[in-house]
Amino acid sequence: MNVLLTQFASTEAGASDGGIFGALGIDLTMLIVQGIAFLILVWVLGKFVYPVFLKSVDERQAKIEEGSKAAAAAEKKASEAQEEVAKLLSEARKEAGFIVATAKEEANAAVEAADAKAKARAEKIVANATETIEKEVIAAKKALHNETIDLVAQATEKVLGHVVTDKVDEKVIAAAIKEVN
Amino acid sequence: MLHSFAALDLHISLAAEPVFHIGSFAVTNSLILGIFGVVMLLAIMFYVAGKVKRGKYNRFVGLVQWTFEGFLKSAEDIIGDKVLARKIFPIAMTIFFTVLITYWASILPGVGSLTWNGVPLFRGLPADLNFTFALAIITIVASQVYAIQRHGFFGNIGRYVKNPIKDPIGAFEGVLELIGEFSRLVALSLRLFGNAFAGEVLLLVIAVLTSYAASVVLPFFMVFELFIGFIQAYVFFVLTLIFTSLAVATHGNHDEHTSSLDHSSADTPKAAKQLE
Repeated sequence: MNVLLTQFASTEAGASDGGIFGALGIDLTMLIVQGIAFLILVWVLGKFVYPVFLKSVDERQAKIEEGSKAAAAAEKKASEAQEEVAKLLSEARKEAGFIVATAKEEANAAVEAADAKAKARAEKIVANATETIEKEVIAAKKALHNETIDLVAQATEKVLGHVVTDKVDEKVIAAAIKEVN
Repeated sequence: MLHSFAALDLHISLAAEPVFHIGSFAVTNSLILGIFGVVMLLAIMFYVAGKVKRGKYNRFVGLVQWTFEGFLKSAEDIIGDKVLARKIFPIAMTIFFTVLITYWASILPGVGSLTWNGVPLFRGLPADLNFTFALAIITIVASQVYAIQRHGFFGNIGRYVKNPIKDPIGAFEGVLELIGEFSRLVALSLRLFGNAFAGEVLLLVIAVLTSYAASVVLPFFMVFELFIGFIQAYVFFVLTLIFTSLAVATHGNHDEHTSSLDHSSADTPKAAKQLE
């Protein structure tokens, strides 16, 4: 403690010698030397070191700016491409819708045409069938008529024992008239 | 306790002490460590610059370059004018690196404990008021030089001297501004000196108090001092830029060249007050 007090006392003594500057240890020669030394240091670093760093910083900054610009351009391009894709998609959708609608219409028309054709064909088939059936019925009726006539003739022949000829027929008619009378 | 202090012969001196003389020039203990710090700084900076030039990066080179880039951006943001910021930047950056390295050098083992003819052989350069005062003078003079470049010689004087009849408030402000310049000079130098000196005394006192446990306790305080060293270097750097920014700032719209500075001039007084 004594030493400490002695130190401070010596400082105060210094103060009385060189004023407050002396007490604080400020020495004009040392101040100038240190100031000049610092300025030399600034000059040396400013001349040989900082330009290298600044160049590197500027180059990096330029690269970043370039990258940023490229990114912005790419983003713009992507945005444009997206817009174009959206536009194309919209057009494609419209076209697809139109194609689908047309195809539907065509399909409907085709179905309707096929339907009409089928109907007509069916009607024709039915008409043909009806005609054929009618013809067959007529033919069958005719055949049945003929067969009936033949059967009647055969039955009559069997009953009369003679073949019915015109002469026989006349005799039978005459006998019948006589009987009636 | 007081007796033990006395017995331990705690050597504390406010001023840097001469270790030897070259002619009539006294080589002080702060100058010796300062020369060591500056040599270290030059070695580091030239090493890093060489590596950057060759494009060979490692973590240390990256750290120094990252610091440089960050501080450059800070300077441009504070000053507002990119061209002026790059003009003042070498001084501010050199202040930062010099204060940082010499402050950190004062934490090296042996500083304060190694003596020569009863005088400590080494003392931190920022703990020498000659150094901090020289830095403060250079900072203030540099800001005045840039202010004269911006406003002209008489324009710059017009910032401090105004007609008290035409503009009494302005004249009073001018006087305050002039006092402010001197207070900045004193504040800049004493802040750094006070912190560095207190740091050295703190380490010395802790070493004495903890005795054999000093090797365990001191590292914590050394780390703390490293942090304080960085903060002080950064504060000096920022204040250099702020004072320059304030000196070149224009009030009103009569100077169209400095429209970009209006913003910084509005912000920097607040920042300066916060830092001070």
